[in-house]
Amino acid sequence: MKNITLKTRMKDIYLFITSLLVLASFPAMAQQAADTTTVAPKTYRYGIRVGADLYRLTRSLYDDNYKGFEIVADYRLTKKIYVAAEIGNDNMTVDDDMINFTTKGTYIQAGFDYNTYENWLDMENMIFVGVRYGFSSFSQNLNSYRVNQNSNVQNTATSSNYFDDVVFYPNQEYGGLSAHWVEVLGGIKAELFDNLFLGFTVRLKSLVANKKPEGFDNLYIPGFNRTYAGNFGVGFNYSLSYFIPLYKTQAKKAEEAAAKK
Amino acid sequence: MKKAFALFLLVLLVGSSFLSCEKDDICAEGTPTTPNVVIRFFRSDNTSVLNPVSNFKYYVEGMTDTITITASTDSIRVPLRVDATQVKWGFILRQTGTGGTTRNTDYLTFDYTKQQTYVSRACGYKTTFNLTEDPVQTDAPGENTLWIDEVEVEKYNIEDENERHISIYY
Repeated sequence: MKNITLKTRMKDIYLFITSLLVLASFPAMAQQAADTTTVAPKTYRYGIRVGADLYRLTRSLYDDNYKGFEIVADYRLTKKIYVAAEIGNDNMTVDDDMINFTTKGTYIQAGFDYNTYENWLDMENMIFVGVRYGFSSFSQNLNSYRVNQNSNVQNTATSSNYFDDVVFYPNQEYGGLSAHWVEVLGGIKAELFDNLFLGFTVRLKSLVANKKPEGFDNLYIPGFNRTYAGNFGVGFNYSLSYFIPLYKTQAKKAEEAAAKK
Repeated sequence: MKKAFALFLLVLLVGSSFLSCEKDDICAEGTPTTPNVVIRFFRSDNTSVLNPVSNFKYYVEGMTDTITITASTDSIRVPLRVDATQVKWGFILRQTGTGGTTRNTDYLTFDYTKQQTYVSRACGYKTTFNLTEDPVQTDAPGENTLWIDEVEVEKYNIEDENERHISIYY
């Protein structure tokens, strides 16, 4: 075991507290630091962590144009590597100047998280990077659109379109659409109480396949989000998840062996 | 590893802040939108010679707004209604003769089908047209002279404004 001073431990605690305060504005409940400087053999707990995205749940309450949820889960494979996945559902209406449409669909993202954070004692906090492969199956409903007229034929500074703007309400559904993407992410997870974790991730997504409707476009894809703001999709979530421990290992043997060398 | 992570997070945050600037909110100029009917004027006694009009006015029957092209031109653009399949335009020719200035109005009724095509988020949809028959020419009430001698449709598909769709001989 490395000789960790009390000072660096305090720094680590503060890092988590401030991370949580800044990113989530949730009351940070840091774990109580042990007062002793002697260190018991480190144990690693393995298990499944399941939870939900708080952002999508709360947005469903305050945003009339959005209904959705996301379930998150990860499983600890090794000391640092986790298998992770998100399954979600979006029902999003975008009201733009020219177009109003509703996207409905389900998505799944699966991949790995790599914990870069060296915990002390039995803490299980994470500062991690990850990769995901995402797939979404959805439909687009074109609610209304405004025809881009060009009836200003006088070509003077004061002239305008000869005909008034016309809005059509086709209410046409384009179904059977799908998209695939890859994403990289960075995030944190902190244990608030026993086995209860609060996490935050930021994600950059890049489409690898996109089945567009005939005569319209996929301007929004569930899980991927907006497709029109540059080449990348951007996403984030605040997850509240519960850890279900399955088994434990002790780091003692391996680390003692490392120390002898 | 921690440094690498900090750098990664920084790139991610800076990157996402750049990406959130919406770049295509405004329909770019030059993007093909709903086309107008391009009409060119020719002499009826020598059909290959352009015959410019000046102080030319045209309007849709029943509407109060009139389009006025003050400068002399041999080419005008005539919009079709995107919410109808027929539109009746009145074209007012201003002629200066020995008896002073006279105005003569002829109507052309355009019958067409239309098609809506998605362009982009910022530009929305455009409408393209198909003339289903040759425009029907009628005289204004109270007049008994038609100034248009012949109307010839060059292109029935109105998809862009790159070349003339209709020739008017007078």
